[in-house]
Amino acid sequence: MIHQDSYKQHISGQFNAELEAVKNHLLEMGGKVEQQIARAVESLLKRDSGEAMQVIAGDQEVNDMEVRIDEECSRILARRQPAASDLRLVIAIAKVTTDLERIGDEATKIARQAIKLSEEGKSPSSYVEARHIASHVASMLRKALDAFARLDVDMAVEVVVQDAEVDSEYGTALRSLVTFMMEDPRTISPVLNEMWALRSLERIGDHGSNIAEQVIYLVKGMDVRHIEPAQLQAQMKSSND
Amino acid sequence: MQTHAIDIESIRRHPAAETAGPIDNSLQVEGLNLFYDQTSQALFDINLEIPKRRVTAFIGPSGCGKSSLLRCFNRMNDLVDGCRVEGHLRLEGDDIYAPNVDVAGLRRRIGMVFQKPNPFPKSIYENVAYGLRIQGINKKRVLDEVVEKSLRAAALWDEVKDRLNDSALGLSGGQQQRLVIARTVAVEPEVLLLDEPASALDPISTLKIEELIYELKSRYTIVIVTHNMQQAARVSDMTAFMYMGKLIEYDSTDRLFTNPNQKQTEDYITGRYG
Amino acid sequence: MNTQDVTTLHSQKNPGPLVWVKSGEPMIWINAAAVSLSVIAVVGLMALLAVRGFSHFWPKDVMLSNVAYQDNVRPILGEVVEEVEVSRQQLLEAGFTLKGSEDFFQRTLLKQGNRDFLGSDFVWLINEQLDAPQYPENVVVIERLEWGNFYGYLKSVTRDGALVADAAEDEAGAWEAFQSVIADTLSVREAIHVIERGDIGRINYAMERLRLEERTLELADALDATAQAALASERAELDAQYKVLQDQLYTLYDSITNHSYSAILADGREVSLPIAKVVRAYQPNGMGIADKLAMYVERLWEFLSDEPREANTEGGIFPAMFGTVMMVILMAIIVTPFGVVAAVYLREYARQGLVTRIIRVAVNNLAGVPSIVYGVFGLGFFVYFLGGELDQLFFPAALPSPTFGTPGLMWASLTLALLTLPVVIVATEEGLARIPKSVREGSLALGATRAETLWRVVLPMATPAMMTGLILAVARAAGEVAPLMLVGVVKLAPSLPLDGNYPFIHLDQKFMHLGFHIYDVGFQSPNVEAARPLVYATALLLVIIIALLNLAAVTLRNRLRERYKSLEA
Repeated sequence: MIHQDSYKQHISGQFNAELEAVKNHLLEMGGKVEQQIARAVESLLKRDSGEAMQVIAGDQEVNDMEVRIDEECSRILARRQPAASDLRLVIAIAKVTTDLERIGDEATKIARQAIKLSEEGKSPSSYVEARHIASHVASMLRKALDAFARLDVDMAVEVVVQDAEVDSEYGTALRSLVTFMMEDPRTISPVLNEMWALRSLERIGDHGSNIAEQVIYLVKGMDVRHIEPAQLQAQMKSSND
Repeated sequence: MQTHAIDIESIRRHPAAETAGPIDNSLQVEGLNLFYDQTSQALFDINLEIPKRRVTAFIGPSGCGKSSLLRCFNRMNDLVDGCRVEGHLRLEGDDIYAPNVDVAGLRRRIGMVFQKPNPFPKSIYENVAYGLRIQGINKKRVLDEVVEKSLRAAALWDEVKDRLNDSALGLSGGQQQRLVIARTVAVEPEVLLLDEPASALDPISTLKIEELIYELKSRYTIVIVTHNMQQAARVSDMTAFMYMGKLIEYDSTDRLFTNPNQKQTEDYITGRYG
Repeated sequence: MNTQDVTTLHSQKNPGPLVWVKSGEPMIWINAAAVSLSVIAVVGLMALLAVRGFSHFWPKDVMLSNVAYQDNVRPILGEVVEEVEVSRQQLLEAGFTLKGSEDFFQRTLLKQGNRDFLGSDFVWLINEQLDAPQYPENVVVIERLEWGNFYGYLKSVTRDGALVADAAEDEAGAWEAFQSVIADTLSVREAIHVIERGDIGRINYAMERLRLEERTLELADALDATAQAALASERAELDAQYKVLQDQLYTLYDSITNHSYSAILADGREVSLPIAKVVRAYQPNGMGIADKLAMYVERLWEFLSDEPREANTEGGIFPAMFGTVMMVILMAIIVTPFGVVAAVYLREYARQGLVTRIIRVAVNNLAGVPSIVYGVFGLGFFVYFLGGELDQLFFPAALPSPTFGTPGLMWASLTLALLTLPVVIVATEEGLARIPKSVREGSLALGATRAETLWRVVLPMATPAMMTGLILAVARAAGEVAPLMLVGVVKLAPSLPLDGNYPFIHLDQKFMHLGFHIYDVGFQSPNVEAARPLVYATALLLVIIIALLNLAAVTLRNRLRERYKSLEA
């Protein structure tokens, strides 16, 4: 129905350019946020407070990007009164930026935990779960942004489904960390720090899922928030027929 | 060919629909074909149902047949030589093109407002009273009452109550158009057909007309043809998109302007190459 | 802007003639010249007519001079009408002997009046024959019903055969007595006029009706004894009335026939003339400007309000004005409904196609047909065919003398209605075409039928165009002469087509018309010199009437156009 070239076919070339620009800015922001996550996770795993400091500093840039994209969206709404897919695109972008900004915030939180962990001593866990969830979440975000760039509904559905996996992995990780705290109460503080970082990663997964849902809204015009993944897959199948 | 039934659910979701009662159809169109002469066909197999006490908008590029369709409802096309209609149009179940139809009576039931304000070169009062005088009603008391009621209904009373006997041609374009609406409302029609009622007006007058349409909706079935998609989006409950004499898509305005079914509709309302 | 631009902009310091032509300036001058010429032509024409026509009513001084010609010297009295220069050759060829040796001589046209004594009332004199002109104050000008003006000196006045005043004894008293007798006579004449035109006219009309009634009965074989008796008694009654009136008339006539005045001509002859034939008497040389102005207004009013006399060369033109207006009004009444209905049909009801196109072409061509052709058609079709049929059907009693089978007011009006029909049709159609479609649709959309829309909206909006067409038609009809000569206009109509006798408007009567009056007075008159000023005055009057009608049309059109302007924008 709509595809990547849809945004280059308006009679108004200026409108084409504006939509293209705001979309590119969003993807740029996505790239920046991905980078932030990667560095935050890096700093967490390596307890590198220097890197973590850079991540915290980098959040300002993400915030600025959000403000700029929001401004662009309002301007398009006010001046172009977009309809149908254009309208959905602008709304989706506005919502996705919010999610991306939140992801940026979560990355900062992870970086803060990394600093605490480097100062207060290492968590007794081997960070296996953290490493695993982080890579999972990073791939979700990448996929969600890819789906957005390519308007790929199938990929977006995959992301939503993946989020459920992340949630269950997060539960497993929490249980294993709790056992550490029970074994040695002195580890409570660093383990809690690690748990906070894990929680941030889980939130990032949720935001990635939100982004994927916006992609489905953008392409299909369907609001799939608050729907169980299984139901979603069924709906997608029926609407594709 | 697809038949466009009304998606009642989608209308119910519209906040404006909350006040309304049950939804019936006022006008029904079945397999309508319109020919301007032997060779040129203006409308192709149109099927749609227009709900009562709702605003239905026809949009589409110039020459798509939306005005022609509108003019079928009150048989204005009869005035065009060689114009021929096939299929059925019904008003409350009565066939509009049945051979024994009293066209003048039909036009009293289905009023029409045109693109350019067309007040008669008479006083404001006489303009509004015109339709009644045609029906032979000349009692001053009755006329006074109807004139005031109609001008109030058209949100014009306060502006003109002190100069009812001045020429209607002295009013501004927006006032003239509201006068024409008052004149149409005065004969108590069931349906109001508006043929691009605001296209000749400035933005403020346009907004006043739109506000008026919103208020008249509680009493009349309104069908509006407009070039201005934003206007259709603002005032209507249902929107029909027409292209090259065909009805491409007919759906609730909310649906049509956020997530149209047809690519042609999408391309038109988002301003893409057709 | 750089320096190069400046130099190109200012390089045309010396524009050649070609540049001037290209600039369009000559066109403006040509246009201005054409417009000026037109304006000058119109203003000049009006001025000529006004000066020549209206100066006629000014009481001019009367000149006394001695004419010396071939040892014969005689005094002469008269008004100078005009002076021209003629060549010696021309005068010699005409048989004059000349004293002077110049190449050119001044010649004067003198109105000497007194046609009954001098033979002709205009005389050309060569100025060298005249000695110095004098303007004696006691010269009298007397306008008379017959024989034109009298110029001379008042000698005495006689009332009922008895001398009442003698100028030799008391000049002022004699003049006063003369004026008072004239005033008395005029009032008696007015009374006679009323009886003759009014009462006796009515009786004659009634007698004619009786005769027709009798003839009708006779034709129907219903003329039995009772009917005859009834008719006879009515006739006897009318006869009795007539007798009474006739006696009154005799008395009135008797009361003025014995008033007379004696006067002395320029050559010393003394003549005695009846006061009954005097219209007015005045002494121009003794009058001041105010007196002359009063006299001027009086004579002008007489011109506008009186009947003509002396083969139309004297008196007024009221019947001609009345006839013109009457005919034009009748024409308007006939042409408006026809024209409007035709235009409405062509524009509103007829299917636009070949037939309507042909009709339109025909209508437009009708406007181009020479008017005399309409006259011939009117005579052949209306007068002889229609009129003859009408007479057979409705007025068999009057036959063989025709009622409608002869040129008359109705046929003239009908003919001119036909002549002006295209103007009304075209103008009305234009008006109907200018009414925006949206207004008609607005009316139809309110449930009005086509007829209601036409009647309540379209026709009222088309009234300005209809009025314009109608007044243009009226202006054209008022100026038309040629067809009228065939279908109803005469040089002198005995009575107005509108009077107090049933049925009040006499459509079968012949009537007088300003345009024809000009032609008749100017070219058919026995006394061309006397009539010439009247031709000018009448022509000016006709031009003024037509100009007023046109002005009214333009004003009306502009005002109504203003009213509907916002609709067309």
